[in-house]
Amino acid sequence: MEKLEPNEMVQRLTDFIRMQGDFDSVAIENFRKMPGGASREIWSFECAMQRDGETSRRAMVLRRDPGAHNISTNRRHEFLVIRAAFEEGIPVPEVFWVSEDPAVLGSAFFLMERIDGETLARRLLRDDTYARAREVMPAQLAEILAKIHRIDPVEHKLDFLAEPGDNAALTEVKRYEENFRRLALEPHPAFELAFRWLLERVPKTPRKTLVHGDYRIGNVIFGPEGVRSILDWELAHRGDPMEDVGWMCVRAWRFGNDKKPVGGLGTREDFFRAYEKASGAAVDPEAARFWEVFGNLRWGIITISQARTHIDGFVKSVELASIGRRTAETELELLNLIE
Amino acid sequence: MQDRPTSIELLEAAADFVDRELVPTIEGARQFQARVVANVMRIVAREIKMEDPLVRSEVKALARVLGQDAPHLHSLDDLHAVAVSMGEELTGKIRAGEADGGDWRREVLAVVRQSVEDKLRIANPRYLESDIAIRNAAKTK
Repeated sequence: MEKLEPNEMVQRLTDFIRMQGDFDSVAIENFRKMPGGASREIWSFECAMQRDGETSRRAMVLRRDPGAHNISTNRRHEFLVIRAAFEEGIPVPEVFWVSEDPAVLGSAFFLMERIDGETLARRLLRDDTYARAREVMPAQLAEILAKIHRIDPVEHKLDFLAEPGDNAALTEVKRYEENFRRLALEPHPAFELAFRWLLERVPKTPRKTLVHGDYRIGNVIFGPEGVRSILDWELAHRGDPMEDVGWMCVRAWRFGNDKKPVGGLGTREDFFRAYEKASGAAVDPEAARFWEVFGNLRWGIITISQARTHIDGFVKSVELASIGRRTAETELELLNLIE
Repeated sequence: MQDRPTSIELLEAAADFVDRELVPTIEGARQFQARVVANVMRIVAREIKMEDPLVRSEVKALARVLGQDAPHLHSLDDLHAVAVSMGEELTGKIRAGEADGGDWRREVLAVVRQSVEDKLRIANPRYLESDIAIRNAAKTK
Protein backbone atom coordinates (compact mmCIF):
# COMPACT_ATOMS: atom_id res chain seq x y z
CA MET A 1 0.00 0.00 0.00
CA GLU A 2 1.35 3.46 -0.80
CA LYS A 3 2.09 5.46 2.30
CA LEU A 4 -0.06 8.58 2.35
CA GLU A 5 0.79 11.61 4.42
CA PRO A 6 -2.11 12.98 6.49
CA ASN A 7 -2.54 16.07 4.29
CA GLU A 8 -2.71 13.83 1.20
CA MET A 9 -5.31 11.69 3.01
CA VAL A 10 -7.31 14.83 3.81
CA GLN A 11 -7.22 15.93 0.18
CA ARG A 12 -8.40 12.56 -1.13
CA LEU A 13 -11.02 12.21 1.58
CA THR A 14 -12.37 15.68 0.77
CA ASP A 15 -12.78 14.70 -2.88
CA PHE A 16 -14.29 11.34 -1.96
CA ILE A 17 -16.91 12.84 0.38
CA ARG A 18 -17.78 15.57 -2.10
CA MET A 19 -18.44 13.02 -4.82
CA GLN A 20 -20.24 10.49 -2.61
CA GLY A 21 -22.57 13.07 -1.11
CA ASP A 22 -22.86 15.21 -4.24
CA PHE A 23 -21.81 18.29 -2.28
CA ASP A 24 -20.71 21.60 -3.73
CA SER A 25 -17.81 21.77 -1.30
CA VAL A 26 -16.36 19.85 1.63
CA ALA A 27 -13.93 21.02 4.29
CA ILE A 28 -12.15 18.70 6.71
CA GLU A 29 -10.69 20.05 9.92
CA ASN A 30 -8.67 18.69 12.79
CA PHE A 31 -7.77 15.40 11.08
CA ARG A 32 -5.98 13.30 13.70
CA LYS A 33 -5.10 9.70 14.36
CA MET A 34 -6.71 7.96 17.33
CA PRO A 35 -5.28 4.97 19.19
CA GLY A 36 -6.60 1.92 17.42
CA GLY A 37 -4.11 -0.88 17.72
CA ALA A 38 -2.13 -2.80 15.14
CA SER A 39 -5.01 -4.30 13.18
CA ARG A 40 -6.98 -1.13 12.46
CA GLU A 41 -6.50 2.56 11.85
CA ILE A 42 -8.89 5.12 13.26
CA TRP A 43 -8.81 8.80 12.34
CA SER A 44 -11.06 11.52 13.67
CA PHE A 45 -12.09 14.80 12.02
CA GLU A 46 -14.75 17.46 11.67
CA CYS A 47 -16.45 17.66 8.30
CA ALA A 48 -18.33 20.65 6.88
CA MET A 49 -20.39 19.81 3.81
CA GLN A 50 -22.05 22.43 1.68
CA ARG A 51 -24.85 21.96 -0.85
CA ASP A 52 -27.06 24.67 -2.35
CA GLY A 53 -25.90 27.24 0.16
CA GLU A 54 -26.66 25.01 3.17
CA THR A 55 -23.81 23.75 5.32
CA SER A 56 -24.01 20.69 7.55
CA ARG A 57 -21.32 19.70 10.01
CA ARG A 58 -20.60 16.25 11.41
CA ALA A 59 -17.93 14.87 13.67
CA MET A 60 -16.65 11.79 11.83
CA VAL A 61 -14.42 8.77 12.18
CA LEU A 62 -12.47 7.11 9.38
CA ARG A 63 -11.87 3.40 9.90
CA ARG A 64 -9.19 2.12 7.53
CA ASP A 65 -7.34 -1.17 7.09
CA PRO A 66 -3.60 -0.80 7.68
CA GLY A 67 -1.69 -1.75 4.56
CA ALA A 68 0.92 -4.19 5.80
CA HIS A 69 -1.31 -6.61 7.65
CA ASN A 70 -3.26 -9.58 6.45
CA ILE A 71 -6.70 -8.35 7.44
CA SER A 72 -9.11 -11.20 8.01
CA THR A 73 -12.30 -9.18 8.38
CA ASN A 74 -14.07 -7.15 5.73
CA ARG A 75 -14.74 -3.41 6.08
CA ARG A 76 -17.74 -3.44 3.77
CA HIS A 77 -19.33 -6.25 5.76
CA GLU A 78 -18.72 -4.39 8.99
CA PHE A 79 -20.23 -1.23 7.45
CA LEU A 80 -23.39 -3.11 6.44
CA VAL A 81 -23.80 -4.76 9.84
CA ILE A 82 -23.48 -1.41 11.66
CA ARG A 83 -26.00 0.10 9.25
CA ALA A 84 -28.44 -2.73 9.98
CA ALA A 85 -27.99 -2.14 13.72
CA PHE A 86 -28.56 1.61 13.24
CA GLU A 87 -31.77 0.94 11.31
CA GLU A 88 -33.01 -1.24 14.18
CA GLY A 89 -32.56 1.56 16.71
CA ILE A 90 -29.47 0.09 18.35
CA PRO A 91 -27.06 2.74 19.72
CA VAL A 92 -24.30 2.66 17.10
CA PRO A 93 -22.65 5.33 14.98
CA GLU A 94 -24.48 6.35 11.83
CA VAL A 95 -22.39 5.04 8.93
CA PHE A 96 -21.97 7.20 5.83
CA TRP A 97 -19.82 5.74 3.06
CA VAL A 98 -17.63 2.72 2.44
CA SER A 99 -14.99 2.06 -0.20
CA GLU A 100 -12.95 -0.97 -1.14
CA ASP A 101 -11.12 0.89 -3.90
CA PRO A 102 -7.42 1.12 -2.92
CA ALA A 103 -7.04 4.10 -5.26
CA VAL A 104 -8.80 6.34 -2.74
CA LEU A 105 -6.91 5.87 0.53
CA GLY A 106 -4.68 2.87 -0.14
CA SER A 107 -6.92 0.26 1.48
CA ALA A 108 -10.55 -0.42 2.31
CA PHE A 109 -12.20 2.09 4.64
CA PHE A 110 -15.50 3.49 5.82
CA LEU A 111 -16.72 6.70 7.39
CA MET A 112 -19.07 6.99 10.31
CA GLU A 113 -20.35 9.43 12.89
CA ARG A 114 -18.03 10.09 15.82
CA ILE A 115 -19.60 9.41 19.19
CA ASP A 116 -17.81 10.99 22.12
CA GLY A 117 -17.42 9.30 25.46
CA GLU A 118 -15.28 6.89 27.40
CA THR A 119 -14.36 3.26 26.67
CA LEU A 120 -11.92 2.33 29.44
CA ALA A 121 -13.26 -0.27 31.86
CA ARG A 122 -10.90 0.92 34.58
CA ARG A 123 -12.61 4.33 34.58
CA LEU A 124 -16.09 2.86 34.45
CA LEU A 125 -15.40 0.68 37.46
CA ARG A 126 -13.52 3.17 39.63
CA ASP A 127 -14.46 6.79 38.88
CA ASP A 128 -17.28 8.42 40.87
CA THR A 129 -18.34 10.11 37.62
CA TYR A 130 -19.64 6.74 36.43
CA ALA A 131 -21.50 5.63 39.57
CA ARG A 132 -24.86 5.98 37.82
CA ALA A 133 -23.53 4.36 34.66
CA ARG A 134 -22.41 1.34 36.72
CA GLU A 135 -25.94 0.90 38.03
CA VAL A 136 -27.78 1.16 34.74
CA MET A 137 -25.41 -0.38 32.25
CA PRO A 138 -25.97 -4.10 32.96
CA ALA A 139 -29.67 -3.80 32.13
CA GLN A 140 -28.96 -1.46 29.21
CA LEU A 141 -26.43 -3.89 27.77
CA ALA A 142 -28.89 -6.77 28.17
CA GLU A 143 -31.64 -4.84 26.37
CA ILE A 144 -29.34 -3.75 23.57
CA LEU A 145 -28.09 -7.30 23.16
CA ALA A 146 -31.66 -8.55 22.85
CA LYS A 147 -32.19 -6.00 20.05
CA ILE A 148 -29.01 -7.11 18.30
CA HIS A 149 -30.28 -10.67 18.34
CA ARG A 150 -33.48 -9.50 16.63
CA ILE A 151 -31.66 -8.09 13.59
CA ASP A 152 -32.86 -10.13 10.62
CA PRO A 153 -29.87 -10.86 8.34
CA VAL A 154 -32.20 -11.64 5.43
CA GLU A 155 -34.17 -8.41 5.74
CA HIS A 156 -30.94 -6.39 5.91
CA LYS A 157 -29.31 -8.32 3.06
CA LEU A 158 -26.41 -9.52 5.18
CA ASP A 159 -26.02 -12.63 3.03
CA PHE A 160 -22.23 -12.60 3.41
CA LEU A 161 -22.82 -13.97 6.92
CA ALA A 162 -22.52 -17.74 6.73
CA GLU A 163 -25.58 -19.79 7.57
CA PRO A 164 -24.88 -21.62 10.84
CA GLY A 165 -25.66 -25.31 10.96
CA ASP A 166 -27.73 -26.86 13.71
CA ASN A 167 -24.54 -27.16 15.63
CA ALA A 168 -23.07 -23.68 15.72
CA ALA A 169 -21.55 -24.48 19.11
CA LEU A 170 -19.60 -27.52 17.89
CA THR A 171 -18.34 -25.57 14.87
CA GLU A 172 -17.05 -22.79 17.10
CA VAL A 173 -15.34 -25.16 19.55
CA LYS A 174 -13.59 -27.02 16.74
CA ARG A 175 -12.52 -23.76 15.10
CA TYR A 176 -10.87 -22.56 18.31
CA GLU A 177 -9.32 -25.94 18.92
CA GLU A 178 -7.67 -25.71 15.50
CA ASN A 179 -6.36 -22.24 16.33
CA PHE A 180 -5.06 -23.44 19.69
CA ARG A 181 -3.18 -26.40 18.21
CA ARG A 182 -1.61 -24.15 15.61
CA LEU A 183 -0.57 -21.41 18.04
CA ALA A 184 0.45 -22.98 21.35
CA LEU A 185 4.19 -23.43 21.82
CA GLU A 186 3.89 -25.54 24.98
CA PRO A 187 1.37 -28.03 26.43
CA HIS A 188 -1.72 -26.55 28.12
CA PRO A 189 -3.48 -29.39 29.97
CA ALA A 190 -5.96 -26.93 31.49
CA PHE A 191 -7.15 -26.02 27.98
CA GLU A 192 -7.33 -29.70 27.02
CA LEU A 193 -9.56 -30.38 30.03
CA ALA A 194 -11.76 -27.43 29.06
CA PHE A 195 -12.09 -28.66 25.46
CA ARG A 196 -13.18 -32.10 26.72
CA TRP A 197 -15.71 -30.47 29.06
CA LEU A 198 -17.16 -28.42 26.22
CA LEU A 199 -17.30 -31.30 23.75
CA GLU A 200 -19.34 -33.31 26.28
CA ARG A 201 -21.86 -30.49 26.72
CA VAL A 202 -22.42 -29.02 23.28
CA PRO A 203 -25.86 -27.39 23.32
CA LYS A 204 -28.06 -27.56 20.28
CA THR A 205 -28.69 -24.21 18.70
CA PRO A 206 -32.40 -23.58 19.25
CA ARG A 207 -32.19 -19.94 18.20
CA LYS A 208 -30.00 -18.82 15.36
CA THR A 209 -29.51 -15.10 15.25
CA LEU A 210 -27.02 -12.43 14.40
CA VAL A 211 -24.26 -12.63 17.02
CA HIS A 212 -22.12 -9.55 17.75
CA GLY A 213 -19.06 -11.68 18.43
CA ASP A 214 -17.17 -9.30 20.73
CA TYR A 215 -19.86 -7.83 22.97
CA ARG A 216 -18.15 -6.66 26.16
CA ILE A 217 -17.00 -3.74 28.26
CA GLY A 218 -14.12 -2.37 26.23
CA ASN A 219 -16.25 -2.24 23.09
CA VAL A 220 -18.83 0.15 24.51
CA ILE A 221 -18.67 3.94 24.47
CA PHE A 222 -20.32 5.22 27.63
CA GLY A 223 -20.89 8.43 29.55
CA PRO A 224 -21.96 9.24 33.10
CA GLU A 225 -25.54 8.47 32.06
CA GLY A 226 -24.72 5.01 30.64
CA VAL A 227 -24.28 3.35 27.23
CA ARG A 228 -23.79 5.62 24.22
CA SER A 229 -22.58 3.29 21.47
CA ILE A 230 -21.68 -0.31 20.69
CA LEU A 231 -18.42 -0.73 18.78
CA ASP A 232 -16.34 -3.30 16.94
CA TRP A 233 -18.78 -5.21 14.80
CA GLU A 234 -16.13 -6.89 12.65
CA LEU A 235 -16.62 -10.31 14.26
CA ALA A 236 -20.38 -10.34 13.74
CA HIS A 237 -21.63 -13.68 12.48
CA ARG A 238 -24.68 -15.93 12.63
CA GLY A 239 -24.98 -18.44 15.42
CA ASP A 240 -26.20 -19.06 18.94
CA PRO A 241 -27.07 -15.77 20.71
CA MET A 242 -25.99 -17.33 24.01
CA GLU A 243 -22.44 -16.97 22.71
CA ASP A 244 -22.73 -13.18 23.27
CA VAL A 245 -24.29 -13.74 26.71
CA GLY A 246 -21.40 -16.04 27.73
CA TRP A 247 -18.76 -13.61 26.41
CA MET A 248 -20.14 -10.87 28.71
CA CYS A 249 -19.44 -13.18 31.68
CA VAL A 250 -15.79 -13.91 30.83
CA ARG A 251 -13.57 -13.18 33.80
CA ALA A 252 -11.10 -10.97 31.92
CA TRP A 253 -13.77 -8.27 31.44
CA ARG A 254 -14.32 -7.92 35.19
CA PHE A 255 -11.00 -6.03 35.30
CA GLY A 256 -10.36 -7.19 38.85
CA ASN A 257 -13.89 -6.66 40.16
CA ASP A 258 -14.45 -10.39 40.52
CA LYS A 259 -17.44 -10.07 42.84
CA LYS A 260 -19.51 -8.87 39.89
CA PRO A 261 -19.15 -11.51 37.19
CA VAL A 262 -20.76 -9.55 34.34
CA GLY A 263 -18.25 -6.93 33.26
CA GLY A 264 -17.38 -6.14 36.87
CA LEU A 265 -20.82 -4.50 37.12
CA GLY A 266 -23.46 -7.04 38.10
CA THR A 267 -24.56 -10.60 38.66
CA ARG A 268 -25.28 -13.23 36.03
CA GLU A 269 -28.84 -13.60 37.33
CA ASP A 270 -29.66 -9.91 36.91
CA PHE A 271 -28.14 -9.86 33.43
CA PHE A 272 -30.00 -13.00 32.31
CA ARG A 273 -33.33 -11.73 33.71
CA ALA A 274 -32.92 -8.39 31.93
CA TYR A 275 -32.06 -10.18 28.68
CA GLU A 276 -35.05 -12.52 29.05
CA LYS A 277 -37.38 -9.61 29.70
CA ALA A 278 -36.14 -7.71 26.67
CA SER A 279 -35.92 -10.65 24.28
CA GLY A 280 -38.86 -12.81 25.33
CA ALA A 281 -36.50 -15.78 25.13
CA ALA A 282 -35.43 -17.84 28.13
CA VAL A 283 -31.77 -18.05 29.05
CA ASP A 284 -30.93 -21.71 29.64
CA PRO A 285 -28.39 -21.53 32.50
CA GLU A 286 -26.53 -24.59 31.20
CA ALA A 287 -26.18 -23.09 27.74
CA ALA A 288 -25.04 -19.80 29.27
CA ARG A 289 -22.43 -21.69 31.32
CA PHE A 290 -21.24 -23.57 28.24
CA TRP A 291 -20.70 -20.28 26.42
CA GLU A 292 -19.03 -18.69 29.46
CA VAL A 293 -16.53 -21.55 29.63
CA PHE A 294 -16.10 -21.34 25.86
CA GLY A 295 -15.57 -17.57 26.14
CA ASN A 296 -12.83 -17.96 28.73
CA LEU A 297 -11.14 -20.61 26.58
CA ARG A 298 -11.42 -18.34 23.53
CA TRP A 299 -9.85 -15.47 25.47
CA GLY A 300 -7.03 -17.75 26.65
CA ILE A 301 -6.28 -18.70 23.05
CA ILE A 302 -6.31 -15.02 22.10
CA THR A 303 -3.64 -14.35 24.75
CA ILE A 304 -1.47 -17.05 23.19
CA SER A 305 -2.10 -15.60 19.73
CA GLN A 306 -1.14 -12.08 20.84
CA ALA A 307 2.09 -13.31 22.40
CA ARG A 308 2.87 -15.19 19.16
CA THR A 309 2.47 -11.95 17.21
CA HIS A 310 5.43 -10.59 19.16
CA ILE A 311 7.42 -13.83 19.37
CA ASP A 312 7.14 -14.39 15.62
CA GLY A 313 8.23 -10.82 14.94
CA PHE A 314 5.06 -9.52 13.25
CA VAL A 315 4.62 -6.73 15.78
CA LYS A 316 7.37 -6.15 18.32
CA SER A 317 5.69 -5.01 21.51
CA VAL A 318 6.49 -5.53 25.17
CA GLU A 319 2.76 -5.36 25.83
CA LEU A 320 1.99 -8.21 23.41
CA ALA A 321 4.89 -10.23 24.78
CA SER A 322 3.72 -9.83 28.39
CA ILE A 323 0.19 -10.98 27.49
CA GLY A 324 1.68 -14.44 26.97
CA ARG A 325 2.19 -14.62 30.74
CA ARG A 326 -1.49 -13.91 31.35
CA THR A 327 -2.70 -17.15 29.78
CA ALA A 328 -2.36 -18.77 33.22
CA GLU A 329 -5.05 -16.41 34.61
CA THR A 330 -7.55 -17.85 32.17
CA GLU A 331 -6.40 -21.40 32.85
CA LEU A 332 -7.13 -20.86 36.53
CA GLU A 333 -10.61 -19.55 35.77
CA LEU A 334 -11.32 -22.53 33.50
CA LEU A 335 -10.31 -24.97 36.24
CA ASN A 336 -12.59 -23.11 38.65
CA LEU A 337 -15.51 -23.36 36.21
CA ILE A 338 -15.18 -27.00 35.17
CA GLU A 339 -14.13 -28.68 38.41
CA MET B 1 30.17 -15.81 38.85
CA GLN B 2 29.00 -12.20 38.96
CA ASP B 3 29.56 -9.49 41.55
CA ARG B 4 26.71 -7.90 43.54
CA PRO B 5 24.14 -6.67 42.89
CA THR B 6 22.44 -9.93 41.95
CA SER B 7 20.32 -10.22 38.83
CA ILE B 8 17.23 -9.91 41.01
CA GLU B 9 18.54 -6.74 42.67
CA LEU B 10 19.32 -5.24 39.25
CA LEU B 11 15.83 -5.96 37.92
CA GLU B 12 14.18 -4.59 41.03
CA ALA B 13 16.28 -1.42 40.81
CA ALA B 14 15.28 -0.95 37.18
CA ALA B 15 11.61 -1.65 37.88
CA ASP B 16 11.60 0.79 40.81
CA PHE B 17 13.06 3.53 38.60
CA VAL B 18 10.39 2.96 35.95
CA ASP B 19 7.53 2.91 38.47
CA ARG B 20 8.66 5.81 40.65
CA GLU B 21 10.55 8.13 38.31
CA LEU B 22 9.25 7.44 34.82
CA VAL B 23 5.56 6.48 35.05
CA PRO B 24 4.47 9.64 36.92
CA THR B 25 6.05 11.84 34.22
CA ILE B 26 4.36 10.42 31.12
CA GLU B 27 0.78 9.96 30.00
CA GLY B 28 -1.55 7.87 27.95
CA ALA B 29 -0.40 4.87 25.94
CA ARG B 30 3.28 5.37 26.79
CA GLN B 31 2.56 5.46 30.50
CA PHE B 32 0.68 2.20 30.10
CA GLN B 33 3.62 0.63 28.23
CA ALA B 34 6.03 1.85 30.94
CA ARG B 35 3.94 0.13 33.61
CA VAL B 36 4.06 -3.04 31.51
CA VAL B 37 7.87 -2.75 31.39
CA ALA B 38 8.15 -2.50 35.19
CA ASN B 39 5.78 -5.42 35.59
CA VAL B 40 7.78 -7.54 33.14
CA MET B 41 10.96 -6.85 35.11
CA ARG B 42 9.28 -7.97 38.33
CA ILE B 43 8.01 -11.13 36.64
CA VAL B 44 11.53 -12.00 35.49
CA ALA B 45 12.91 -11.33 38.99
CA ARG B 46 10.37 -13.73 40.49
CA GLU B 47 11.15 -16.28 37.84
CA ILE B 48 14.88 -16.16 38.60
CA LYS B 49 14.07 -16.56 42.27
CA MET B 50 11.47 -19.31 42.08
CA GLU B 51 11.53 -21.20 38.78
CA ASP B 52 14.05 -23.92 39.73
CA PRO B 53 12.19 -25.41 42.71
CA LEU B 54 8.83 -24.97 40.95
CA VAL B 55 9.87 -26.90 37.85
CA ARG B 56 11.41 -29.62 40.01
CA SER B 57 8.17 -30.16 41.90
CA GLU B 58 6.16 -29.96 38.66
CA VAL B 59 8.25 -32.74 37.10
CA LYS B 60 7.79 -34.88 40.23
CA ALA B 61 4.03 -34.31 40.19
CA LEU B 62 3.74 -35.07 36.47
CA ALA B 63 5.78 -38.24 36.89
CA ARG B 64 3.48 -39.34 39.71
CA VAL B 65 0.28 -38.72 37.78
CA LEU B 66 1.71 -40.49 34.72
CA GLY B 67 2.80 -43.44 36.84
CA GLN B 68 6.49 -42.95 36.05
CA ASP B 69 9.66 -42.59 38.09
CA ALA B 70 10.79 -39.02 38.60
CA PRO B 71 14.01 -38.45 36.67
CA HIS B 72 17.03 -37.10 38.56
CA LEU B 73 18.10 -34.00 36.68
CA HIS B 74 20.21 -31.05 37.61
CA SER B 75 20.07 -28.38 34.94
CA LEU B 76 17.00 -26.16 34.56
CA ASP B 77 17.08 -26.70 30.79
CA ASP B 78 16.87 -30.48 31.24
CA LEU B 79 14.04 -30.04 33.71
CA HIS B 80 12.15 -27.82 31.28
CA ALA B 81 12.55 -30.35 28.49
CA VAL B 82 11.19 -33.15 30.67
CA ALA B 83 8.31 -30.97 31.92
CA VAL B 84 7.37 -30.30 28.29
CA SER B 85 7.52 -33.93 27.17
CA MET B 86 5.59 -35.11 30.22
CA GLY B 87 3.10 -32.30 29.67
CA GLU B 88 2.60 -33.54 26.11
CA GLU B 89 2.07 -37.08 27.37
CA LEU B 90 -0.51 -35.82 29.83
CA THR B 91 -2.35 -33.76 27.22
CA GLY B 92 -2.39 -36.80 24.91
CA LYS B 93 -4.17 -38.82 27.58
CA ILE B 94 -6.62 -36.00 28.32
CA ARG B 95 -7.44 -35.73 24.61
CA ALA B 96 -8.03 -39.47 24.50
CA GLY B 97 -10.67 -39.06 27.21
CA GLU B 98 -8.73 -40.79 29.99
CA ALA B 99 -9.32 -37.91 32.42
CA ASP B 100 -13.03 -37.51 31.66
CA GLY B 101 -14.03 -39.14 34.96
CA GLY B 102 -12.98 -41.38 37.82
CA ASP B 103 -10.15 -41.22 40.32
CA TRP B 104 -7.52 -40.34 37.80
CA ARG B 105 -9.48 -37.22 36.83
CA ARG B 106 -9.17 -35.95 40.41
CA GLU B 107 -5.40 -36.52 40.36
CA VAL B 108 -5.06 -34.80 36.99
CA LEU B 109 -7.10 -31.77 38.11
CA ALA B 110 -4.93 -31.43 41.21
CA VAL B 111 -1.65 -31.59 39.26
CA VAL B 112 -2.87 -29.21 36.56
CA ARG B 113 -4.19 -26.73 39.13
CA GLN B 114 -0.86 -26.82 40.97
CA SER B 115 1.12 -26.10 37.81
CA VAL B 116 -1.22 -23.24 36.81
CA GLU B 117 -0.91 -21.75 40.30
CA ASP B 118 2.88 -22.06 40.01
CA LYS B 119 2.76 -20.09 36.75
CA LEU B 120 0.78 -17.37 38.53
CA ARG B 121 3.18 -17.27 41.50
CA ILE B 122 5.65 -15.91 39.00
CA ALA B 123 3.41 -14.08 36.52
CA ASN B 124 0.82 -12.51 38.84
CA PRO B 125 0.90 -13.52 42.52
CA ARG B 126 -1.75 -10.95 43.47
CA TYR B 127 -4.21 -12.47 41.01
CA LEU B 128 -3.63 -15.89 42.60
CA GLU B 129 -4.06 -14.54 46.14
CA SER B 130 -7.27 -12.79 45.24
CA ASP B 131 -8.60 -15.91 43.51
CA ILE B 132 -7.83 -18.07 46.53
CA ALA B 133 -9.55 -15.51 48.79
CA ILE B 134 -12.69 -15.49 46.63
CA ARG B 135 -12.85 -19.28 46.52
CA ASN B 136 -12.38 -19.55 50.28
CA ALA B 137 -15.11 -16.97 50.85
CA ALA B 138 -17.45 -18.94 48.58
CA LYS B 139 -16.72 -22.15 50.48
CA THR B 140 -17.59 -20.70 53.88
CA LYS B 141 -20.99 -19.45 52.67
